[in-house]
Amino acid sequence: MTKRSFIGLIGPRLLCDRIESDPREPESTPIPQRLILLIHEPLDSTRETLIKKGDLVKQGEQIILYKESTEYAIAPDSGTITHIASYSGDFGTVETYLVLERDGKSNKANNFSKVAETPELATADRFLRRLPGAPPFAQLLDPELKIDTLVIEGTDSDLSSTTRQYLLTTARPEIERGIALLKQITEIKNIAITIPLELRESLLFNGVRTLLIPPEYPKALPKIVMNELLGIVPTPGCSCEEQGVLFMGVEAVISMARAYALKDPVYDKVVTVIGKDGSQHRIRAFIGTPIHRIFKQFNIVCNEGDRIIIGGPMKGIAAYSLYHPIQPDTDTVIVQDRSEIPYVSDYPCINCGKCVRICPANVPVNLLVRYLEANLYQEAADNFDLNSCIECGMCSYVCTSRIPLFQYIRLGKHELIELETEETHA
Amino acid sequence: MHKQNKYTVSHAPFWHDGDTISAMNINVILSALPAALFGVLTFGLPALGVLTLAVSTAMLWELAFNLISRRTITVGDFDAAVIGLFVGMMLPATTPWWVVLTGTFFAVVIGKQIYGGIGANPFNPAVIGIAVLLVAWKGFFDFDAALLNYELEFTALAPLGALKHQGVAAVGLFPLKDLAMGSQVGAIGTTFGLGIILGGFYLILRGFIRWEITLSYVGGILLTALVFNIVNPDSYAPPMFHLFTGYTLFAAFFLATENSSSPVNLIPMVIYGIMGGVMTILIRNIGYYADGTVFAILLINLINPLIDRIRPKALGKVVKNA
Repeated sequence: MTKRSFIGLIGPRLLCDRIESDPREPESTPIPQRLILLIHEPLDSTRETLIKKGDLVKQGEQIILYKESTEYAIAPDSGTITHIASYSGDFGTVETYLVLERDGKSNKANNFSKVAETPELATADRFLRRLPGAPPFAQLLDPELKIDTLVIEGTDSDLSSTTRQYLLTTARPEIERGIALLKQITEIKNIAITIPLELRESLLFNGVRTLLIPPEYPKALPKIVMNELLGIVPTPGCSCEEQGVLFMGVEAVISMARAYALKDPVYDKVVTVIGKDGSQHRIRAFIGTPIHRIFKQFNIVCNEGDRIIIGGPMKGIAAYSLYHPIQPDTDTVIVQDRSEIPYVSDYPCINCGKCVRICPANVPVNLLVRYLEANLYQEAADNFDLNSCIECGMCSYVCTSRIPLFQYIRLGKHELIELETEETHA
Repeated sequence: MHKQNKYTVSHAPFWHDGDTISAMNINVILSALPAALFGVLTFGLPALGVLTLAVSTAMLWELAFNLISRRTITVGDFDAAVIGLFVGMMLPATTPWWVVLTGTFFAVVIGKQIYGGIGANPFNPAVIGIAVLLVAWKGFFDFDAALLNYELEFTALAPLGALKHQGVAAVGLFPLKDLAMGSQVGAIGTTFGLGIILGGFYLILRGFIRWEITLSYVGGILLTALVFNIVNPDSYAPPMFHLFTGYTLFAAFFLATENSSSPVNLIPMVIYGIMGGVMTILIRNIGYYADGTVFAILLINLINPLIDRIRPKALGKVVKNA
């Protein structure tokens, strides 16, 4: 954990981990007997699901809950569904949790191979949305979004992770093939790729614009890239996609290229795993591998009160179960010892101004938090720039009072959206 | 399924720079110590008595208020200790115990706790305490009278008092080097200019106070005093004299920079600091009090919420606050 430097005047500099000059190969994790799949859709207890306990699924088969469902999971191997349950996520989201018991036969579904000859967006969305890296085909297809710029993220946006950088530096042919494919199926001409500033000499990709990312956090965050490198000022309350810029991880591009080359979806995800002692492992694991399998492989012991972080230390989420699976967008898994967990407090803001100095979006966090603490979300958005926040988490990181500022901000945004939906339904 | 451990599930970010309020306050206390200890060396044990009484009573007032109002005990954040230390440092060494007690009561309870405690005080609590004492018992702040029984090796006259009564001629009695090295009559912790500057620089370097405020406050003092001095050198003292006398330096580094009552944005910090300097000199040169620092600080605390509305546009905002 990066601590405050003795000379606090210059402010903290959070440096992203950079890939080694001679990247080591990821260690492979054996495919577990039971794979866990998450579908971003809640179970409806009043209706029967299409997929049922005891159903046989083939490798590469789409698993959908209901007829009209838009979300799906892809079975990474053939086997039997042995368990279907609800799974709670962040901010009250409910997902569906399926356990797939492998039969070891690897019967292929062959649905994708029929359409792989002629790549197009609609079929890609139907079969490849859950590829490693989670390619955002759905957003590309959304007629309301009008995506005109595609940014391939070759840099890890959060700290500690080197997953994307590893793939960026080692899978160049696939990336170039993937870019060509993307150009073909999306017809977007404006494609850019982010690469670490230090690699500007050695890494250049043909036919795409190169965006150089300095090693400081949060320079690789989409909204910062959009503002500083693309010259598009993020509109408060709008996502990047709503402004026509779509970000996709480099792993998504690579998996797509591989899937079309093999005429078969791929399922192995590169993940950076960081143990309690800070030891870093790069692994290649099947999507659906529960994290406890990985911990076992590297002798990482999780005790009562420890924290399991899915994603980076600044923007990730904490998992509550060792059965949490590796998902298509899981780039990093970090285990923090309970003694390493910094406490948060209910102390009031002392107005020290560190958050205001550090905020890359000029949000008056010191005033904003007073409104958020009092549940005055509308006022917070109207007068104190709640929606301008780009969610980097730096304010919480520096807060002397240890107020969970980032959490307050996310809660505020969440509540505002809830309020707005209530109003439109009323 | 075997027995599940319970893991800590909380929100991002999962790292912290390690800063705490108590660490910050301990650093403030440490940086104020050179000036305070110098006061003890100069003015002897009574000075130590005043300082320790001020710190301890400030903490006890806070504890008492915590208990009466049934709120969390906040003595452990050392904020009350800082307030007490500052009150003590601004008092002369011979202050009677009950004045110290009253001062810290007004500082901690009236200046801070009744507004809701740390972070909620609109004025600098220590300055509130001193201001109440200054208005109620002005006699105790007559440093010449307070230190009458001392045998001092330097001019036994409070520089600002002398300036008020004897005019600019008095400035010659106080060489700048003596003033900076603490050879002057004054409050316990505010005479040793060099010590205050050293402590203040430490705080600035560590990032515990906002240097913009200090710099613009000092700038305000020097500029205003210079203008007065140029217009009429026979009536008004030169800028450096003002800088090294009274509470000026202490205010620049320790009082004006109090977190809760000062602005956080750049332009407001500059306005706040300069206003403080201007008001201090105005009160000294035109006003009734020999040292106007305390009231100048309260005045700028008052305008703080107003000027701190001047802030840069947030990302993506075109019209301010719209």
